Amino acid sequence: MEIAVSVIIDTALITLTLALAAFGLAIIYGLIGVINMGHGAMLTLGAYFTWAGMGIGIPFVLSVILGGLIVGFIGMILEHLIIRHYYDNPFDTLLLTWAFFLVTTELIKIFFGSDFRTVTNPFPGFIDIGFYKIPTYRTAISILTAIFISFTGFVFFKTTTGIKIRAMIQNQEVASLLGLNISLTYKLVFSFGCFMAGLAGGLVAPMVSVSPYMGDMYLVRSFFVVIVGGIGQILSGTIAGSFVIGGLETIVALFSDQVIAQVAVFLVAIIILRVRPQGIFSGK
Amino acid sequence: MANSKIIKNITGENKAALIIFILMGLLPIFVSGYIIFILPQYMLFGLLAVSLCILWGYSGIISFGQAAFFAIGAYTMGIVIREGGAINTAYIGIVCGALLSGIVALIVGYFLFSVKVRSTYFVLATLALSIIVEQLAKSQKDITGGWNGLFVDRITLTVGPFIEYSLFNDIPMYYFVFFITLLSFILIKWLMASKFGKILIGIRENEDRISALGYDTSFYKTMIFAISGLLAGLAGTIYGTHAGFVDPSLARVLFSTEVIVWVAIGGRNSLIGSLAGGILVASLSNYLNSVTPEYWQLIIGIIFIVVIILFRGGLAGGVEKTYEKFFR
Repeated sequence: MEIAVSVIIDTALITLTLALAAFGLAIIYGLIGVINMGHGAMLTLGAYFTWAGMGIGIPFVLSVILGGLIVGFIGMILEHLIIRHYYDNPFDTLLLTWAFFLVTTELIKIFFGSDFRTVTNPFPGFIDIGFYKIPTYRTAISILTAIFISFTGFVFFKTTTGIKIRAMIQNQEVASLLGLNISLTYKLVFSFGCFMAGLAGGLVAPMVSVSPYMGDMYLVRSFFVVIVGGIGQILSGTIAGSFVIGGLETIVALFSDQVIAQVAVFLVAIIILRVRPQGIFSGK
Repeated sequence: MANSKIIKNITGENKAALIIFILMGLLPIFVSGYIIFILPQYMLFGLLAVSLCILWGYSGIISFGQAAFFAIGAYTMGIVIREGGAINTAYIGIVCGALLSGIVALIVGYFLFSVKVRSTYFVLATLALSIIVEQLAKSQKDITGGWNGLFVDRITLTVGPFIEYSLFNDIPMYYFVFFITLLSFILIKWLMASKFGKILIGIRENEDRISALGYDTSFYKTMIFAISGLLAGLAGTIYGTHAGFVDPSLARVLFSTEVIVWVAIGGRNSLIGSLAGGILVASLSNYLNSVTPEYWQLIIGIIFIVVIILFRGGLAGGVEKTYEKFFR
């Protein structure tokens, strides 16, 4: 029983952390159909900005928010200069965002160096529930992720902005005939996705070693989260996908080692991709 | 009219191929030393680029997993040579490495194309394939040597009971790789000019129409992916014995990406452009890496962006345009 509870708690924490990392990608892919291969680099950038912010004495929370905002701004510039010209060609946006990843990774190496950096954990303790100690920081992150996703859900389904965005996804031409500024909406969605990626990078930074390649693993996992969960199912899909990918990895890792777990998860993800390309929980 | 123009272009590409191969064939007469040692490696990278070109340029499929096939080939070669064998490990290594890569590609291709998985999803699946191969190479220490990699001896080819051709020295190695590159290039060129290649171009242009004409497009896509894997694996086996060493970084996603950069710069629609792209960009990378280790990847990344935005035809497209401008 106690083992079961601790596994459930672990799985919940991993699911929500993964959902946080994948959320920016899910927004961009789900709403405007761009495969943002630069997602991992944006996470890394967010982590480095947080590290740099704390280095000059800015408190952790503020550093994370600032980092996210800067990454969001970089995303907006990227969208304005390059991405917006290629919305009708998914392969080109894929390659161009991948090129963004390559260039950004090199710039990170030049400006911040290739060494591992550590961001001090702002809540280092544990929450003791008797038989199991839950790391405080991870709990905080998980709650925060739940809040982010609920808030986005609220904006998406209950506000005028959300209705406009949903109208745009359903029928671009009619939405623009009704006076919706499509190009501005695309720009805002893309920037918001990048902002979320930067924010996620800053938030996971205390749990990992910050290095120029830290985003790589998140990139591929995030993609599988989005695909497994179902594209366009931004809220429930992201959580469901994270649960499958993260939960599976935790469970397989219990019986074998971490590497085998990762390989198994990727294999399962490829199989899901084939069997249910619309996502496992999607109704269609 | 349009038809005659295409024929002229093809012969133009053949001329370029002829010039490049003659130059490479005669090079050992004029230079020696490091260039002759290292150039075979770049020719193999060129072949790897061709293996992507037939996917990307001809069939409209992007693969982020070419490095995985290359690594499978190289590791197979290393393992076959280490284990030894009764007959001739050199041939067994080459054949097994290429076949194994081809079979993996065939399985992955069949698995995904037979249900018409979206082409963007296919990219992600190949990305995962790269990571899976890299992780397996790192973790299966008993078979692959793990992080430390695997040392591979240079092979000796035998023809009949008496003739032996050792690839231990650079010149024999150079001509062996040159011969393999030339042969593979001609075969691929022939294949792409055949009906098979034309159907692939049709699939790239308009898959629905080709399908409506009664062709099983999944079959063609699966086959070209298998052939691409076979070619990448073949290049990998010889890379293994040439470099003398294989390690998990061969399967890295970043290496797969480099292949994409070579092909984009060389010209994704041109076989000889891709081959030249592989050879030139890889040697340029090597040179820049020794001059400015910090900035070379940055420079390559920026060139990549510029090529995708401004010069979709790459080097081959540029040469063709210049040629038409001044000589027609």
